[in-house]
Amino acid sequence: MSDKSPLLEFNDVHVEVEGKEVVKGVSLKIYPGETHAIMGPNGSGKSSLSNALMGHPLYTITKGEAFIKGESILKMKADERSRAGLFLAFQYPLAVPGVSVANFLRAALKSHRGEEADMSDYRGLLKKEMAALSIDPSFATRYLNDGFSGGEKKRIEILQMSILNPAMALLDETDSGLDIDALKTVSEGINRYQDETKGLLLVTHYQRLLNYVKPQHVHVMAAGKFVKSGGPELALKLEDEGYDWIVNNSAVGA
Amino acid sequence: MKQNPEYLINEMSPQLHRGPDWLKAMRRSNRLGFNESKLPPRGIHLWRYTDPRKFMLAVDQARDSDFAGECDTVASTETEHVKKGRLAAFVTDLGGRDINVLVSPKGLPNGVTICSLSDASEKHFDLIREHLYQLINRKTGKFEAMNGALWNDGIFIHVPDNQIIEKPIHLLREAGRENSAAFPRLVVIVGRNSEITLIDEYGGGSPDRSNGISFSNGAVEIFGAEDSRTRYVSLQRYAPAMNSYFTHRAKLKQNASMLTIPLVFGGELCKQSFGVELAGEGASSKMYGLLFGTGRQHFDNHTLHHHSAGKTNSDIDFKVVLKDRALSAYTGLIRIDNKARTCEAYQENRNLLLNKGTRAETIPELEILNEDVSCSHGATLGSIDEESIFYLNARGIDKSTAVRMIVGGFVQSTLKLVPDDLKERLSEFVATRLEAI
Repeated sequence: MSDKSPLLEFNDVHVEVEGKEVVKGVSLKIYPGETHAIMGPNGSGKSSLSNALMGHPLYTITKGEAFIKGESILKMKADERSRAGLFLAFQYPLAVPGVSVANFLRAALKSHRGEEADMSDYRGLLKKEMAALSIDPSFATRYLNDGFSGGEKKRIEILQMSILNPAMALLDETDSGLDIDALKTVSEGINRYQDETKGLLLVTHYQRLLNYVKPQHVHVMAAGKFVKSGGPELALKLEDEGYDWIVNNSAVGA
Repeated sequence: MKQNPEYLINEMSPQLHRGPDWLKAMRRSNRLGFNESKLPPRGIHLWRYTDPRKFMLAVDQARDSDFAGECDTVASTETEHVKKGRLAAFVTDLGGRDINVLVSPKGLPNGVTICSLSDASEKHFDLIREHLYQLINRKTGKFEAMNGALWNDGIFIHVPDNQIIEKPIHLLREAGRENSAAFPRLVVIVGRNSEITLIDEYGGGSPDRSNGISFSNGAVEIFGAEDSRTRYVSLQRYAPAMNSYFTHRAKLKQNASMLTIPLVFGGELCKQSFGVELAGEGASSKMYGLLFGTGRQHFDNHTLHHHSAGKTNSDIDFKVVLKDRALSAYTGLIRIDNKARTCEAYQENRNLLLNKGTRAETIPELEILNEDVSCSHGATLGSIDEESIFYLNARGIDKSTAVRMIVGGFVQSTLKLVPDDLKERLSEFVATRLEAI
C-alpha cells in the first residue's frame, strides 16, 4: 500500500453550509483498489462531505485539505475536480429537460477527453454499458432524468460512472430507492467498475448495499465526525444494533 | 423616420389606389379607421408595457432602401432547396413591392395557387373578397387598420379541397435595410381535408440606429376549412433598428387543426399578436412559441385562443429566454363562449432569465363563459437553477457550456417541431445569442 499514493485524501476537513458547520474535521486516505464506506444516521454530515468534496457551491470547505491523486482540489471548480478524476453519484439526480441521456454523456465525455468522441465508438460504448445495467435502449434518447423513477435515476448515475470511468467515485446513497433486483444490477455495475486502479467511497445509511459491494474499510460518521472506523464487520454490527450505541459512546468521548 | 403621434394617412397614392373598386373601398375604410381612431390608451391592458406612439411613424418619410445581405443568403440557400425539392415553393416579398414565386420542379398539387395579392385580386376576386380583411381590419385595432390601408402588395395562397402539399412553403418577407417602412400582408386559405406547412420569415432593418429606425406592420389571415391541417411557423429575425407590429389571426372550421410556431428573435421593439378562433366542432389549435431577447430588446406578445364552437381544444406553450437587459411581456387570453361546451384549453408561459436586469411579465387571461370546460394555465419565471449547473459541472462540463446546454434543452421541445429546413438556422440563432455566456 505504501508504494502507492492515495487517489483521494482529505485531512481535517470542515464543511459549512449556510453558515452552519456540518462536518467538523474528518480525515481519510483511499488508495487504488480500495473500497471504503461511510455510514451514519441522517444528518450526520456524510452527504455534505460528498457534496463539498465534489465542489457544490453551497458547501464550503472552511478548513483542512483535500487532494485527488496528490493534487489539491480546494481551489478547483466542480468541473475541474471531475476532470481530475473525481465522480459523485448523486443522491437526488436532477432532471435536465431537453437534453438526452446520449447527448449529455457525449458532452461530458468531450469535456473529459478534450475532444469529441468518435460517434460510432461512442454509440457502441453507450449501448454496451446500458445493456450491462439493464437500461432499456430507449433511455438514450430520453431527456436526462426527466420523468425517470428513483431507481431509473440511480441506474443512470451508475451508467454515467461507467462511461466516464473516473479514478475515484463517491456514491451518495446510491442504494436508496432501489428494489432488490435493481440493487443487484446496480451493485454489479459498481463491482465491474472497481479494480486495482480505482478508488470507491460508498456513502450510505443502510448496510444492504454492502452485501453486494464489499468495502474493506467502514467509517461511522455522526455529528460531523468519524466516530469509529473498522472492517466490514462494523457494518454488520450497525445493521444489527443500529447507530445508538456508537453515537452515544462517542458523545461521551467527545 | 420620426415618431409623430398626430400622424394621419393621406389620400391613397396612385400606387395604392388600384385594383377592384371593392379593394379601393376597403383601403379607404381602413385609412379612415386609422385616422379617426385615437391612440390606444396606455391604461388598457394590452398597451400597459408598450408605448403605441412607437408605431406612429411618419411612413411617407420612409425611403426605398436596398435589402440586407442576409436576405440574399437565405434566398440563395432556399432557391437551391426548391430546386432539390426540399421545399414546395419559395416566395420572396421585398418590401411589398416585388413578389416573386419559385415553385419546385415537381410542381404543386392540382389547383394550388401561390401569387401576389394584387394578382389574386384580379384572378381570384371572389376568394379575395371572401377572405381578405375578414379577420384583421379596422375593427381589430388602429394599427391593424394602418396595415389595411397601406399594404402595397402581399402574398396569397390557396389550397383547394383534398390536396396535400408535402414539403414546406417558405415565404421570405424582407423590409428595406435603412429607414424603411413595410406593410407585409398574407392570406392563406386551406381547403377541406388539405394540408400545408408554411414558414413565414420576416427580416430587414439596419444593424444600428445611425440611419434611423425602420418600421414594419404585418398582417396574416389564415383560414382552415373542415378537416384541414395547417402548420404555420412565423420567424421574426429583424435587424436591431426595427420597430415592428404584427397581427396574426386564423379561423378554423370543423375538425381543422393548426400548429402555430411563433419564433421571435429580432428588432428593437416588437409587439406581436397571434390568435386562432376555433369556430367548428372538433377544431384544435396548438401554439408553441419561442422568444429569445438580448441587449435592450423589448417584446410584447399576445396570444388568443377563442373557442366559439364546442368540443374544441387548444394548447399554448410560450417560452421566453432573456439575457442582458431584454424585456418580455406576454399576455395570453383564452376565451370560451357560452355556447362552446366541452372545450379543453391549456396555456403555459415559461420565462428563463439568464441574468439580473432582464424583465419578464406574464399575464394570463381567462374569459370562460360556461362551466363545461377543462382549462388550465401556468407561468414560471426564474433563472437557471444552480443545482442543475452543479450537476453538469460534476460531470466535467464547464459552467458556460452547462448554461448553453440547459438553455438548449429548454428550447428543444419547440425547435423539434420546426420543419427540418429551418432547424439548423434556428439552432444557430440560439447559439449566437448564447455565445457571450
